[in-house]
Amino acid sequence: MVLTHIQAMLLFAAVASAIFAVITHKGWKEQIKYALWCFFLFLLVGVAVGWAMYPISR
Amino acid sequence: MADKKEAKTEQTGARGKDLLSYACAFGGWLLPGLGHALLKMWGRAAVTFAVVGVLVLAGVSLRGNIFASTGPDAFSTLGYLADLGAGSFYFAARSLDTRPPDVSKAAGDYGTRFLATAGILNLLCALHAYEAARGRKA
Repeated sequence: MVLTHIQAMLLFAAVASAIFAVITHKGWKEQIKYALWCFFLFLLVGVAVGWAMYPISR
Repeated sequence: MADKKEAKTEQTGARGKDLLSYACAFGGWLLPGLGHALLKMWGRAAVTFAVVGVLVLAGVSLRGNIFASTGPDAFSTLGYLADLGAGSFYFAARSLDTRPPDVSKAAGDYGTRFLATAGILNLLCALHAYEAARGRKA
């Protein structure tokens, strides 16, 4: 199995968001809403940190 | 007399709750999702089982490092404790893992992280099941 960096980040964000949602919220609607929000934030922060490190990458 | 009976019933109820909460914590660690399943929280049980399973499978497929208890340094010990959090899935991963880990590539490193994440998330879910059984969370 081979995963690119972005695929690994997507997988991690998806599973961590799912767990955070089911243990912190009640009701499937609330859980899905929170999971999507969490997923979006994981991606946003991941991409932001990636760009923040760009100047020191070479 | 009635007070004594009531107190005894309360004590038995508290002991039962304690037993259930310990069973949820241990069961949740041993088999991901079992802690919630014991509390009839089927959705949470299914999500926990699926998430920990997917992470362990991905970790093994990416040839991540599955730490053993005989690690040479503190980092290996911490890695072992994190991996062990996945309960029976850790032992399944060890038996599934026929090839040696390959952390010279990014994929292997991701695999190592996925395995540790599976353990930590499972411990978090087992703790949640314990708290839910004690009536502190739902």
